[in-house]
Amino acid sequence: MSLFKKKSKEKVYTRYSGASANISLWKETIEKLMSPEGRPEVLDDIMILDVSSANFSGIIAASFFAEFGAEVIKVEPPEGDPCRKMTPFGKNVKGVGIPFIVEGRNKRYMTLDIENSKEDRETFSALARKADIIIESYPAGKMDSWGTGYRQLSEKNSGLVYIAITPYGQYTAKAEKFSALPDTDITTQTGSGLSAEIGDMITEPEPYNWPLKAGSWMGWYISGLSATLGGMMALLYRQRTGEGQMVDIAGMDAYSSMTGFPASIGYTWDTPRPRIGLLDFILYPYGHWKCKDGLVAIAAARDQDFRALLKILKRWDLEDDYKFTPDRIPDILEQALELHREIEKETLKYTADELAAKAQAYSIKAARSKWKGGGVPIVMKIMKPEQAVSMPQWELRKSFKTVEDETLGSFTVTSGFVKMSESPPQIKWVSCDIGKDNDYVRDKYL
Amino acid sequence: MEDYFTYTAKLFDQRAIKDKPEVFKGLRVLDFTHVIYGPTASKILATYGAEVIKLELPYYGDMWRPASYWGKYWKHSNPIWHFITQNKYFVALDLKLQEAKDLIYRMAKDADIVLENFAPGTAEAWGVGYTSISKVNPEIIYLSCSTYGQYGPMRYFPGWDLLAQAASGVLRTNGFPGTDKYYKLPDYLGDFIPGNMAALVLTMALYHRNKTGQGQYLDLSQTESMMRMLPHFTYHSFTGEELERSGHADPSMVAASIFKSRDGRFLGLACATEKQFEGLCSAMEKKELLSDKRFSDYLEALKEENAEALRVIVGDWIKTKDCDEVIRLALENGFAAAEVMDDHMICQDEWRRARGSVVLFDDDMYGELAVAAPSAQLSKTPGRTKWLARPLGYHNRYVLLNLVGLTEAEIEDLEKKDVIGTFDDKPGLKPPIYYHLDKDPIYNYGREVRK
Repeated sequence: MSLFKKKSKEKVYTRYSGASANISLWKETIEKLMSPEGRPEVLDDIMILDVSSANFSGIIAASFFAEFGAEVIKVEPPEGDPCRKMTPFGKNVKGVGIPFIVEGRNKRYMTLDIENSKEDRETFSALARKADIIIESYPAGKMDSWGTGYRQLSEKNSGLVYIAITPYGQYTAKAEKFSALPDTDITTQTGSGLSAEIGDMITEPEPYNWPLKAGSWMGWYISGLSATLGGMMALLYRQRTGEGQMVDIAGMDAYSSMTGFPASIGYTWDTPRPRIGLLDFILYPYGHWKCKDGLVAIAAARDQDFRALLKILKRWDLEDDYKFTPDRIPDILEQALELHREIEKETLKYTADELAAKAQAYSIKAARSKWKGGGVPIVMKIMKPEQAVSMPQWELRKSFKTVEDETLGSFTVTSGFVKMSESPPQIKWVSCDIGKDNDYVRDKYL
Repeated sequence: MEDYFTYTAKLFDQRAIKDKPEVFKGLRVLDFTHVIYGPTASKILATYGAEVIKLELPYYGDMWRPASYWGKYWKHSNPIWHFITQNKYFVALDLKLQEAKDLIYRMAKDADIVLENFAPGTAEAWGVGYTSISKVNPEIIYLSCSTYGQYGPMRYFPGWDLLAQAASGVLRTNGFPGTDKYYKLPDYLGDFIPGNMAALVLTMALYHRNKTGQGQYLDLSQTESMMRMLPHFTYHSFTGEELERSGHADPSMVAASIFKSRDGRFLGLACATEKQFEGLCSAMEKKELLSDKRFSDYLEALKEENAEALRVIVGDWIKTKDCDEVIRLALENGFAAAEVMDDHMICQDEWRRARGSVVLFDDDMYGELAVAAPSAQLSKTPGRTKWLARPLGYHNRYVLLNLVGLTEAEIEDLEKKDVIGTFDDKPGLKPPIYYHLDKDPIYNYGREVRK
């Protein structure tokens, strides 16, 4: 393993490093992480029916389960889930959108028209008797009115975990009144508090000072992640007691429930936060600056890190005014902006790589010095996602995988977001053909 | 049959939560993590009933304790830290001392999960890494959280949420095309999302251990977690193009954008299906758009120039309507719309209070505070808030006596030797000024103390 044979001394940026007494054991562990292929799968005893419709949270949740080995059957009408067509600028491969391909991991595809066909509903109910998890995103009460809701399915399958994803959930008066409202990523972002906190300052011109949307599907991904997490809690309870339960995800909770900031700040401040553009409420410097060759991200927020940054930029004169964290945060906006401008004057003199090298050299020295207070200013060139793919770090960690599909051809997907020594996630195949596994599913489960 | 919403109201009755079982009852977690990333993972376990012992350094503690928004404190505590650390046991011990390490090995024997988010290499060098802990407890599930992972050429690089956002490319996806401003995902989502993923992979490891009896080591990188949420890599691999930013719009859905209404409010609107687009057209009383070639089918309407033309039409229509009216029309015609909610609206929202996703919690030490609950509500084993954050070292005596099994004399000895310690006189670390720790039963060895 080339990683451990390197003779040159490695650069270490923190105070505590070096070999532990257990280096051979550590090496063994890392080698296990590096070869995930062929290891046992966590959920190889789990069958999942994903009948979610026009809602990517369901697809994403199912995808996480599938990566850990569950048999996930995507159930969709003959014309396919509308999610197949949601794709940036309409870009598609043989009619299938990119996001649908990304989440087509280890999945099986079956066609059933449960919205319109009574017979297909009966087939679905028969499959549900063998299922461990069901994921659906119809309006609250819809599945129940078809006789395929949690209430009916759990009668014949008491261990069933039933995950429902909607904007306002399965209970409360509002959930009932708004049950017909569809779920989308952008409404999940606006309705759960994300958009209010991202975007430029009120002093900037319209529409730049409006609430903004996170560029990628943060609303749907958070909901999908929460659904998998809730489903796993239910599976763990079932493992102990044999009992299933219902897991209710409300898209409008996505952001606010994940960070908890809106609830607690809304309560203690009794007023909303303003948008502060590129600044940060707690930390400074913590953002990005223009430099000679583009943009550079700098995080030097702790006092010792900030002092180190001033040394690197040769601006010790600023130290007196901005000594402590509270001097640098934007509660007095003009004061914070002035510091921002002063720092930008300096960063413009260097390229991103020069600045990063200076910061690293300082950190390495500081880690060995008792005088420099352990300052670790962190500087990094901002990466486009497309550039990140080719970094050696991700190559070594097998973070991307090229897969080959008969219909879609050969392409790259992210893979193995976590490394586990015994039961890591795997990508076995990525495919999207409608009704591909109709026979397989019928033969195996009916 | 009973009405569906009467049935679900009983199934998810918020008043019954405190009497329902907990998934992680009896699960013991040793938590070395600090700031947001790691603590979020252990908080989720604690919300579902695990005994999370949060280990900190005496007198300093977690550096996020005093890091309050705009330096505003609430009863000498950091209001946003309560949510991140609810239901945990707070123990402060000095890792530099051998006695503290022995204590940790002793605790690790009965623990199910250990997690840390030091810079990679630190935990191993301190003798509390996986190799040391798995010697005393081979079935341990040990999770290391870091920005770039535990191996690879960048493993020693330190990181924050910002760096995970910058390195994964997420930062480059937010903002307006052609500008040089990139807005980071707010409120440290680069910590919270990986934190939730950390909880997820721990549940996977637990499920595996329950089946096989096997513990394991987990290495979760913040950057890889964020990359898992981007379609850009696959997009690039198919088209050879870079996916440019799109400002307020969502380029993958029809008519999807943030708009401003006549009454000056903001809302998000989108059509997930062709049927929803029909609904939007009838709400706008512009049925002719349905036969317009540019919008004839979903993929066609997503093409850049068509999508832009459609957004202008929708935007102009919304300018003539109040926000509430648009949302009423969305509900009637079946397309998606939701107002931009800010902190205050979310905190006061009746629906969230009724659902239990914003809970007014009454704490023994801090009194009333609004805290968020998970967006996943479980009918049989719901998560719950049992107590808020506590001062540094608050549970030292309680944990060592009741969970570790030391005697009062042994604990006093550890206190004298400074192996364990408590808080310094700093906000975020100390109790509220009105609170008398000497009368607190939990602080005093779990004894009943007369209040």
